[in-house]
Amino acid sequence: MTGLKRNFSRITPWSVAKWAAALCIAFVMVFPIWWMFNVVFADPGVPASLNPRLYPTSLSAGIENIKQVLSETGFLRAYYISVAYTVLTIAGVLLIGSMAAFEFALFRFPGARILFALVMLSLMVPTAATLIPTYLVVAKLGWLNTMQGLVVPGLASAFGLFMLTQFMKSIPQEMLEAARLDGATHFQLYWFIALPLSKTALVTLAILTFMKTWGNFIWPLVISQKPELFTVSQVVSLFNAPLSHTTVDVVMTANLLAAIPPLVFFLIFQRQIVEGIASSGTKG
Amino acid sequence: MSSLQILNACKSYGTVEVLKDINLDVQSGEFVVFVGPSGCGKSTLLRTIAGLEDITAGEIRLGGKRINDVDAAKRGVAMVFQSYALYPHMTVAQNMGFSMRLAKAPKKETEERVRTAAHILQLEKLLERKPAQLSGGQKQRVAIGRAIVREPKVFLFDEPLSNLDAELRVQMRAELAQLHRRLGNTMIYVTHDQVEAMTLADKMVVLNGGKVQQVGHPLELYDNPDNMFVAGFVGTPRMNFIKARVLETGIGGITVEYLSDHSGGRLQLPLKNITYGAEAEVWLGIRPDHVKLCEASDAKALPLTISFIEELGDSTCLHGALPNATKLSVLTHGGRRAEQTPVTIKIDPERVFVFDRNGERIRD
Repeated sequence: MTGLKRNFSRITPWSVAKWAAALCIAFVMVFPIWWMFNVVFADPGVPASLNPRLYPTSLSAGIENIKQVLSETGFLRAYYISVAYTVLTIAGVLLIGSMAAFEFALFRFPGARILFALVMLSLMVPTAATLIPTYLVVAKLGWLNTMQGLVVPGLASAFGLFMLTQFMKSIPQEMLEAARLDGATHFQLYWFIALPLSKTALVTLAILTFMKTWGNFIWPLVISQKPELFTVSQVVSLFNAPLSHTTVDVVMTANLLAAIPPLVFFLIFQRQIVEGIASSGTKG
Repeated sequence: MSSLQILNACKSYGTVEVLKDINLDVQSGEFVVFVGPSGCGKSTLLRTIAGLEDITAGEIRLGGKRINDVDAAKRGVAMVFQSYALYPHMTVAQNMGFSMRLAKAPKKETEERVRTAAHILQLEKLLERKPAQLSGGQKQRVAIGRAIVREPKVFLFDEPLSNLDAELRVQMRAELAQLHRRLGNTMIYVTHDQVEAMTLADKMVVLNGGKVQQVGHPLELYDNPDNMFVAGFVGTPRMNFIKARVLETGIGGITVEYLSDHSGGRLQLPLKNITYGAEAEVWLGIRPDHVKLCEASDAKALPLTISFIEELGDSTCLHGALPNATKLSVLTHGGRRAEQTPVTIKIDPERVFVFDRNGERIRD
C-alpha cells in the first residue's frame, strides 16, 4: 500500500509530459514499420482504400507477397551479397582499425602524431567528395563489379581508428611489459592482450559499421552495375523505380524484407547499440 | 648460477642522467633491496636489469653472461609489478601459465607448474577466478605466482606491496621472506619504504640522484653509514643533524661545539687521529634513540622546547628545538608524555656520527 502511494507520489506534471513526448516519438518511429507490415499482410487494395484498416487482414496475402518477391526477383542473392559485404567490411574494419590503433595508442614511432592527425583530418572530408576519386582508383584496379571493389574502399575507417586508439590508450603499459617478459612477440601483444581488452570498443565499432554498411546505397550503386552483385538496398530501389509496374504491397514487401535484418540486429544488440552511440557520440 | 653484476651502468633520457656509473655485485640467492626516495632511479635500474629499458653505457652480466642486448623475455628474469599487471580477461590459472602458453610448452607441464606455484602461494581455490574477483593481496600473490611459473634465474619486484593496506603489507612482507627462503632464488626488490628494505634485505642498496650511496647489510648501513644521506634515510625516526664547529683536535678525539652559552653544547668526540682544522664546520648526526632525557641539574643538560609529540604506544617521539632553533627529535621508551612542557636532554658522544660539510662521513 505504501509502495503504491510512493509510486503515485512520483507522478508529477513533468514526468507525465516526458512520458507523453516519449510515446509520441515512439509512435512516429513505429508507425511506418507497422504500416509497412499492415500493407504486406492485407488483401490487395485494403490499406490504400478510402477506409483503410490499421491492422493486418490477410496472412495468406502477405505470404504470397513474400513468396513472389523472393522467387521472382534476385532478393535472396541480394541478401547473400549484402551479408557478405557487411560481414567482410566489419571484419576488415575491426582488423585494420585495431592493428593501426594498437600502434598509435601504445607505441611511439617517428611521425606518429602527424600520421594520426592526417587520418583524423580525413574525417572532415564528406563522402560525396571522395566518391569519384575512390571510384577512379577502384576502376583502375579493375575492381568494378567485384566484391573486393565493394568492400575494400570501406575498410579504412578513420572514425574506427580514432575510437579504438582512444580505447587502447587506457591499456596500462605495465600489462604490455608483463606480457613482453612472459615472452610475447609484438603481434602476440596485439593478439593476446590488446585485442581481448578492447572487446567493448570492438563490439561498438562492429555495430556501427553494420548500421552504416547494411544501409549503404550510394557506393554499391556506383561500383556495381551487374545485377549479380546488387545489394538489398539496390534491389529495393528497383521496386521503387519510377517506371516499375509493381503494386504498393509488393514494394512494401521488398522494403519489409530489407528492414528485417537490421530490425533483428537492433533487437539483439539494442543495449550495445545505445551504449555505442552514447560513447562514440555518433549515429554511425 | 644466477649472480648478477652491473658494471659502470649509465642511463640517460636526452640530457637527463637517470643512472650514474652504477656498479653492483649481487650474489646467487641473495635478497637485494634497492631503496631510495622517489625519482632516485631505483625502478629504472630494475627495469634495465629486466630488459625493459636499455642502458646507455656499461654492462649487465647475469650468470657471467653479458645480457645488454638480450631480449627481456630471454634474460631469465621475471618481474612483479606494483600494479600487479594481471591480464583481466584471463583466469588466475591462465595468467600464471601465460608464459608457458607462449612458449608452446606441453599442456601437462604448464598445468603442473601452475599447480605447484598455486600450492606455494595457497592459490589453489582461486585458479578459475578472474583478477577482478580477487582482493589486493590475492592479486599480488597471483603476480608472484606468474613469476614463479617462469622459473626465472632472478626475481624482480617493483614496489610490489605499495598498493596494499598496512596490515596486509606486513603479512605479505613475511610471506615474501618465507618464499625467498623456500625458493632460494636471487631476488631484487625495489621500495621507497626503508622499513620494508631493512626487514627483507640480505643486502641493501641505497640510491639517491641516480647514484649508489652505499651497499651493505641493513644493520651495517644503520650502524655505519657512509654519508649524511644514508644516515638520514636509514632508520626511523630520522637521524638528527646538528651543525657544529670544531674547537680542537687531539690524540684523544675532537672537541666540537654546536651550542655556545651551554656547557652541554660542547662535545668531546672519540674520533682519533683526525687532522681536522680548528673552526672547521661539521655536521653531527645523532639518532633520536641516542638522545636521552636527563635532569636539569645534569652538567651536560640542554633545554629542549617541544613542538609536538608522537605517542607510538611502546615509545614516544618528542619533536622540539634547541635554544639556537636547531630541530631535534628524541625517542623515549617506557615513559609517556602527553604534555608539551620543556624537557632537558643530553647527547651521548659515543653515538655521534660526524660528517664533513659535503655530507661525507669523517671516520678515524
